[in-house]
Amino acid sequence: MFSSLLSGGGDGTIAIHDVHNTSGTPQFTYPSVSKIGHGNRNCHKYAVTTVQWYPVDTGLFLSSSVDKSLRVWDANSLAAAGRFEFGGSVYSHHMCPVATSHCLVAVGVAESKQVHLVDLKSGSKAHTLLGHRKSIMAVQWSSRDEFLLATAGKDGIIRFWDIRSAKSCLMLLDQHNGDTTAGPHSVSTAHSGSVNGLCFLPDGLHLLSFGTDSELRLWDTQTGRNRLVNYGRIFNKKQNNIKFSVSDEGLASVAFVPSDGNIEVYDIFNGSRVGILRGHYNQVNCCTFDVQLHELYSGANDRNILIWVPDSETVRGYEEFLNSSRQGVGQRRTNFTSRIGGMADAWSSDED
Amino acid sequence: MMNGKRPNSDRRAFQKRLRVDAKEMTASATADFESSRLCTDVSSALEYLKNLFNCEKFDGCLPPIVLKHQLYSILPSRTAVDKKLGEMRENCQIRLFKFGSEANVFMIVTTSDYKTHVLKHCRELSPVLIERTLSLISTCPDIYVSKQRFADLQFDEKEIPELVKVGVLTIRDVGSWWLAVPGAGLFVKSFLAGRKYLLSAIKKSKMQQVLQQDLLQRPLPKAVKLGSVYHLHDLIGADLVEG
Repeated sequence: MFSSLLSGGGDGTIAIHDVHNTSGTPQFTYPSVSKIGHGNRNCHKYAVTTVQWYPVDTGLFLSSSVDKSLRVWDANSLAAAGRFEFGGSVYSHHMCPVATSHCLVAVGVAESKQVHLVDLKSGSKAHTLLGHRKSIMAVQWSSRDEFLLATAGKDGIIRFWDIRSAKSCLMLLDQHNGDTTAGPHSVSTAHSGSVNGLCFLPDGLHLLSFGTDSELRLWDTQTGRNRLVNYGRIFNKKQNNIKFSVSDEGLASVAFVPSDGNIEVYDIFNGSRVGILRGHYNQVNCCTFDVQLHELYSGANDRNILIWVPDSETVRGYEEFLNSSRQGVGQRRTNFTSRIGGMADAWSSDED
Repeated sequence: MMNGKRPNSDRRAFQKRLRVDAKEMTASATADFESSRLCTDVSSALEYLKNLFNCEKFDGCLPPIVLKHQLYSILPSRTAVDKKLGEMRENCQIRLFKFGSEANVFMIVTTSDYKTHVLKHCRELSPVLIERTLSLISTCPDIYVSKQRFADLQFDEKEIPELVKVGVLTIRDVGSWWLAVPGAGLFVKSFLAGRKYLLSAIKKSKMQQVLQQDLLQRPLPKAVKLGSVYHLHDLIGADLVEG
C-alpha cells in the first residue's frame, strides 16, 4: 500500500515522495520519487502556496501559487493538464473531498473580495461568491456535505456558503455567539484579526479556525455557534495561509497546530495542550496527518519536511534492538582481525 | 518639639507600628489569596472576586467589575469557565463587556448591578427610553447590538445617539454598537495603573521573580485603587506572570 506525499516549495518546485518505509530502520530519509523542477516548462515561477491531490486517486493533483495561477497536473507524466489565471496571488485552494456531483475547486485570491469557483469538468471559471470585505486567505469544503463551503479572510469573518442556491451565504460565524445572519451589514467577526487556517473535523460536524489574534476556535457546523473551547494563546503572526490538521481516530481527538517553529498538539474538545513537537528551526508553514500510517508530516521555512511518528513501546524496543546488534557486529570485526594476525604469524613461520 | 523631628524613641515606636500594620495587611492579603483556592465553581469564584472590588474607592460610581481572565487564575479548566460563563450569559445572569481595544479581554458585571448602575447614569433620559433600555438589557444577552435589533425593539433612530452620549453604547462599526458600562473610564485608568505598577515591580527585581508575600505587602500608589490581590489575579489569569 503506497502513500505519496506531495509538497510544494518556496521556489516554485513541487516534489512527490514515497512515504513507505521499507528500510528497516526507524530513522530514514525518504527519497523523492518525482519532481517538477525549474527544468519543467510549466513550473510555477514563484512560491507554491497550496498543493492537493485529486480526492479520488493520485492520478492528478492541483497546485496554486503566488504567480497568480492554479495549475492542474497529471501525476504520472508530470505534464500540465490545465491552468487558471487570477488577478492576484492565490492564497489557497481546495477541492471537495466528498464531491460526487461536481468538480469545483474553490480558490482564495489576494486583493480580491470574491471567492472564485473553478470547474474542472468544463475547464473554466464557474462563478464567484461575494460577501467578504477583504481578501480571502482560507477556503475549505465540508468533509460531510459536498455543497457546503467555508471561507475565511483578512477581515476576520468566516462565511458558510451553499453553492447551489443563488443567495448562497448561509451564515457568518460570530465569536461572541451573537447574530449570525448573513445580511449585507453584518459585522460579526470570528476572530479579531485575519483568519489564517480552516480545518473541518473528519466527521464534518465541527470546524476549527486559526487566526492572527493567536486564537484557535472550535465551531459547530450545524448552528454556527462558538463552542467556547479555550486553547490558550497560540502564537500566530503569519501573513498567509497556515495548514493545520486534526486526528480524530479512536480515543484521542487532537489538533496539530503550527506555531512559529513548533507544532503544538491540543485536545480538541477539552482545550488542553497535549504536547509540543520541537524539531524545526524556522516558521512551520504546514502540517498534515496521515490517518492510515498515523504519521504527521510538517514543512517549514528551514527547507525541511519532518515526519513525526507516535512514540510507542514497540518502536523504542526496536531501536534498542538495532543499537545492540550494531555493537555486536563491531565486536565480531575486531575478533576477525586479531585472528588474521595470528594466522599471518603462523604463515610466515611456515614459509621460513 | 523643634523642626518637627521626632525623638528617637518615638520614631522607633512609630516604625514598629508600621511594621505590625504591614504584617497584618500581608496576613490578610495572603489569607484572601489563599481563600481563592476554596472556590471550586464559577459562581463562587465570581463572588470572591466581586468582594475584592471595593466600590467605595470609586465613590459608588461603578458596579463591581470582574475580568474574565481573573477566573482562569482560580479555576483549573479554562474551557469549563468559558462554557459556564456562556450559560450564565444566555440566562441573563451576567453581562460581558469588551475591555478596551484588546482582543478577548472582557469585563463581567451581574445584570442586577448593571441595571442599577445604568439607572443612576440615565437620569437625563426620558422614562420611556429608560424602560426600553432596561428591557433590552434584560432580554438581549449579546455583547454588541445591531441596528436591526434596535429596530425590532422599537427604538427610535434619534434615541441611539442619546444612549451613546450617556455611555451605555459605544460605536463599533456602521450600524453596530458595543454595550458598555457608563463611567468605566475611571476603572480602566486605575486598573491599567495597577497592572503597570505590579509588572514593573516584578521586572525590576532580581531574576525577575518576587515572592508572593512581598508583592502583596508593597504599598500601592494612590492612583491604584483596587487591591494587590485583585491585580495579582489579573496578572496570573492573563498569563503575564507565572504563579
